[in-house]
Amino acid sequence: MKATNAVEVIDLTRYYGSLPAVDCVSFRVRRGEMFGFLGPNGAGKTTTIRMLTTLLEPTSGTIRIDGLDVAGHPVEVRTHLGVVPEASNVYTELSATENLHFSGQLYRMDRARRRRRASELLDRFGLASRAHVKVAELSKGMRRRLTVAMALMHEPTLLFLDEPISGLDVESARALKEMVRELNERGATIFLTTHQIEVANELCQRVAIIHKGRIATVGTPETLKSSIDSVQAVEVVFAGERVGDISLAGLSHVTGEVVTGNRFRLFTDSPGEVIPQVVDFARRSRLRLGSLNTLGPSLEDVFVRITGGELGKGSDAARGSADPEGKRRRQA
Amino acid sequence: MTRRWENGLAALSQAWAVAAKDMRVYYLNPPMLMFGLILPVLLFFSFALRRGMPVETGIVHLMAMTLFFTASTAGPVVLILERRIGTFDRLLTAPMSLRTLLFGKTLVGVIFAVAVATLPPLVGLAVFRVRVAHAPMLALTVILSALTFSAMGVLFGCFPAQSLGNVMMPASLIRWPLLFVSGLFIPLEALPVWARAISFLSPLTYSFDALSWSLQGGGKQPVFLDVVMLPAIMVVFLAAAVRLHQRTRRLGYQA
Repeated sequence: MKATNAVEVIDLTRYYGSLPAVDCVSFRVRRGEMFGFLGPNGAGKTTTIRMLTTLLEPTSGTIRIDGLDVAGHPVEVRTHLGVVPEASNVYTELSATENLHFSGQLYRMDRARRRRRASELLDRFGLASRAHVKVAELSKGMRRRLTVAMALMHEPTLLFLDEPISGLDVESARALKEMVRELNERGATIFLTTHQIEVANELCQRVAIIHKGRIATVGTPETLKSSIDSVQAVEVVFAGERVGDISLAGLSHVTGEVVTGNRFRLFTDSPGEVIPQVVDFARRSRLRLGSLNTLGPSLEDVFVRITGGELGKGSDAARGSADPEGKRRRQA
Repeated sequence: MTRRWENGLAALSQAWAVAAKDMRVYYLNPPMLMFGLILPVLLFFSFALRRGMPVETGIVHLMAMTLFFTASTAGPVVLILERRIGTFDRLLTAPMSLRTLLFGKTLVGVIFAVAVATLPPLVGLAVFRVRVAHAPMLALTVILSALTFSAMGVLFGCFPAQSLGNVMMPASLIRWPLLFVSGLFIPLEALPVWARAISFLSPLTYSFDALSWSLQGGGKQPVFLDVVMLPAIMVVFLAAAVRLHQRTRRLGYQA
């Protein structure tokens, strides 16, 4: 009978000398689930993934993959796994086809199956036209796609993706996310580590946040966001020319403000009280409203709160999507 | 029993896949091929300058040193390079035992060393009309020596280091002194007692003796001992390499 959990981790601990890198971590990943493992740099993500993929021995604790104890059956466990590390580890002196065939040989696939599967993957990952070119001549995005294709060569039931879209251009990142989503829809369990919160928010059904070697929280992105629902934001954009050096931080119920050009994000626990004040302020100041929205907390806000940041102060900076130049922050 | 055979054959096929891949990626490139060709030529000239040495004796020295250096050099280079670029993790997460993986790494050194070491006797046969005393034993000795020296290189490569220099310097400090205690330059009987004791631990002693026996028809010790000691030392080297690697995995060095 198949185990219901693809991954089961119980009290997993790993020390480096006297320093606990992973401290008594427990979680489960259900079969067919896309599970995000988030954490800041140095939180213990890579150490955990190295233990799950049999590369590193835990100091203590239990890991079961598809019901098999990793410590007792490492070789058998590996037949279930596909591993995509953070850095694309393909052989640059070989072609994409040769890399795929080599991967198939390691997983004991016969020649006919290797040939069929390699051709399938080259087509699916848009590499068919460059199949016989040395990998050294491929772009970074293509190498990344090849790394994923190699991990899928033996049709694993559980795929580990470590920072899958890190360093990719927008187009390659979008294509890769689409492929990962498709794989999951076809039934593969995906374990994804990332520090890009939006990737996890977009792709994962559940996420765990690890901080200082311990699991801080596990849940669906929506559950985690609702856990800090008391903090919300009102975003107002004034139309027309730059509005100059004005501030809305003084409005009642506003706890913080981030200003980017004509866009004001006001943090509040009571958006209903803030909105009429904003409209009134615009009328009095002869400003035209471009848009006015209420925003719930993002997964990033959850992350920032758990890992020690403060809402309204650090969240936009951490998101890194807007130009930090010209951004003003005020605490009410 | 059938299952065990199937698993054994599958492991051999995985080891072969690793060896064939290494051959294409690391060995069949210009620098490595140049090293493989130039080393025997340089050694040939160094022996040719030594007057009075019979051609057969020169070929024995040449083969022993060529096998020793070619088989034991590439292993650590490849292992450290693979660790540094992350491809070693790919091999470690594949469904094969560490023994299979390290055997594959050993095998590629054997193929390269055997290919390079067959040059001297071929030249000897063609140019100097050298007579090989025991051809099958020569073939066996070449293969056993290459296996043992290649396993020695793999052992060097299992030291947890990302920098080539951190491994190659200590490896050289071990390999070069072995040349002087293994009977190549100083006869074993002329060595002081402590050096003689070390010579019995050196695989080069047995390789050189078996090569002398195979090519010239006479060695310093029973050839049976050489043929037993070479694979025994290889097993010790591979076992030590596996232990060293497991220790690294346990301690968690980012090797």
